[in-house]
Amino acid sequence: MTEPVNLAGRGRRLAASLIDMILVPTLTLLLVMVTGVVEHAEDYQDNAWMLHVLGLAVTSYLTLNGYPLWKSGQTLGKKMLGIAIVRAGARARADAGARADARDTQQVRIEPPPFWKLVCLRAPFFPLLFLVVVPSLAALPIIDQVLIFGKRRRCLHDIVCGSLVVRLPRRR
Amino acid sequence: MSASIGSGAVSAGCRILLAVLLCGAGSAAADAPLPCADTDPVPGLDTYYGNAWGIDHHNTREQPRASLRSDNAARLSLKWTYRLSSTTPRSYPLVTEDTVFIGDSGRGVVALDRGTGCERWVHEHEGPISSAILPATVGGRPALLFNDRRRGVFAIDARNGERIWHAAVEDEPVPWYSGTPLVTDTAVFVPVASMEVGLALNPFYGCCTTSGGMAAFDLNTGTKLWYLPTIEEEAKVTGRHFWFVEKHGPSGAPVWGAPSYDAKHGLLFFGTGQNYTHPTTDTSDAIFAVDAASGAVRWHRQFTANDAYTAACNNLALNHPNCPDPPGPDVDFGAPTMLLESRSGRTLLVAGQKSADVHAMDPETGAVQWSTRLGRGGIIGGVHWGMAASESLGLLYVPISDKAITGFPSPGEPAPGLYALDIETGEQRWAYRRDSRCPDEACVYGLSAAITVANDVVVAGSLDGFLEVFDARTGEPLWSHDAWRDYPAVNGGVASGGAFDAHGPMIADDLLIVTSGYGYVGRQRGGNALLVFQLSSDDD
Repeated sequence: MTEPVNLAGRGRRLAASLIDMILVPTLTLLLVMVTGVVEHAEDYQDNAWMLHVLGLAVTSYLTLNGYPLWKSGQTLGKKMLGIAIVRAGARARADAGARADARDTQQVRIEPPPFWKLVCLRAPFFPLLFLVVVPSLAALPIIDQVLIFGKRRRCLHDIVCGSLVVRLPRRR
Repeated sequence: MSASIGSGAVSAGCRILLAVLLCGAGSAAADAPLPCADTDPVPGLDTYYGNAWGIDHHNTREQPRASLRSDNAARLSLKWTYRLSSTTPRSYPLVTEDTVFIGDSGRGVVALDRGTGCERWVHEHEGPISSAILPATVGGRPALLFNDRRRGVFAIDARNGERIWHAAVEDEPVPWYSGTPLVTDTAVFVPVASMEVGLALNPFYGCCTTSGGMAAFDLNTGTKLWYLPTIEEEAKVTGRHFWFVEKHGPSGAPVWGAPSYDAKHGLLFFGTGQNYTHPTTDTSDAIFAVDAASGAVRWHRQFTANDAYTAACNNLALNHPNCPDPPGPDVDFGAPTMLLESRSGRTLLVAGQKSADVHAMDPETGAVQWSTRLGRGGIIGGVHWGMAASESLGLLYVPISDKAITGFPSPGEPAPGLYALDIETGEQRWAYRRDSRCPDEACVYGLSAAITVANDVVVAGSLDGFLEVFDARTGEPLWSHDAWRDYPAVNGGVASGGAFDAHGPMIADDLLIVTSGYGYVGRQRGGNALLVFQLSSDDD
């Protein structure tokens, strides 16, 4: 079966991921500073401060990744690299968009996966989560990323979430 | 048994085969745990070989009930080894006529048969046990007291390990219970340090607001009697970094070591560490004399002013916002103070500092009688865990660490070793300078652990794994044991030796007891061996 859509290149996806992996912890640190959850001695009387930091990290992720992906199929990193995620099942519609683009420069109509899939199925693969919170499962994101070398360039999180990452045509 | 086999009508080949099998069985038996099933679970509690971290309330670290001497030290040999759970053991054993009690971090307090190392009972406790095990009588029950470094002081029944009470300081948010408490007939006095010295490593932490202190609890109930912070002034905001994170001061002046106690005058004495932030106070790097009944300060004397320092002051952590500016030398009084009687009958309060200075004071006024410097000092000492003294010989023994740690400045020439000073004058009587066993940085070779005296010998363990006995009069080395090895353990498996650090050796009758391994600071070698040496049986 041929792939009718223009799949995003691996280099672009890596670059977009790296940008997001910098932005999410940066926002987390900013929130940590602003909220002061690790600033006072009282915060360390028990281990609740770890939950607070995790909560801020999740907030950062949802702000920079989860919500934008759901709304537009793009994080800031993906936007900068001109790629987006779409539902794998919506390939035909995306394909149609791509053909339209080829004809009259219209944009691809992006139809991202549902929000719950993005948060519940896709987000747990965010590499930093494992490196920081569950280091014993650090191999999982590696397996996840290795699958990008498959024919359809779908990482494990794409398969689980039912998504594809496509290259968007340039605006004119 | 072998004789009967040998005398039987068996062939030479069979004899060889049997011998091999028996040797194999013997070797296997040596590796297997000793049969401990018959061990009496009830420890003997008639005789305690010490009642404080310093063996006595004056912290002399001199064991009066010992047969170890200069003329028999060469007869020491390893009797048994117990495998601890922690590779950074930090508990000082309590010995009775038939039992060794020791804290095993992550497992609890264990009561071991003194002759075999077999377990009598285990008081399960998850936290890090950070103190000596102390004897007491709590509500008429024979009891043991110990510190959990994060949770406070615990009293348990010495007969079976049942918990009696638990007490903690609620006056400070993040107290650290590193120093061993001191127990009198009615109260227990608990030194209080602060986690903030380490929390400062987090650049988003608003260093620092807490104070060190000394707390007193009722011995029978564990209820608080008084708490004395070493900094009375409340910390205020002194600035900001990263736009939002507020800095505070004054803070620090933790109490790391056990107090000494003058029962006659009802006074406690203890030393403090550095401030964590500016502005500094006159109570850091100081010695306190405190009324034991009320917690009122009788006097305090500072020896190093303007010493503000945290774990963030590492050269590798460039311009860390939680390193005070300017940073101080971090020259705490980590080692407990000592009350010593000189040969002229004068009582002196003696304190060793991480700067490698030793000071003697008038215990009534704090007036300095003499000061002597023995090394270059540093953040791990100088004098780190504790000194010992022989009042009959009129000598104070000072272990010097002078350990360098990567990333922390250590200016000057190190002088690690053991030094003997005249208690009366502070003049040096002899010195034993140690050398490195190898050029590697892990081969730090100073004496950081506390030392112990008995009769005419001094026992010291070094950071590079040598346990040594010295002639207390001359400093001549008499016996040495290299603990950088593995030991078959009486509780099964293999125990690893390592650096000697922390509380150091205990002596009781013909026994020399010490934990080996301490990987807590820098690149020291960890280990989990409780080693028990004994003088050979032909000794008196």
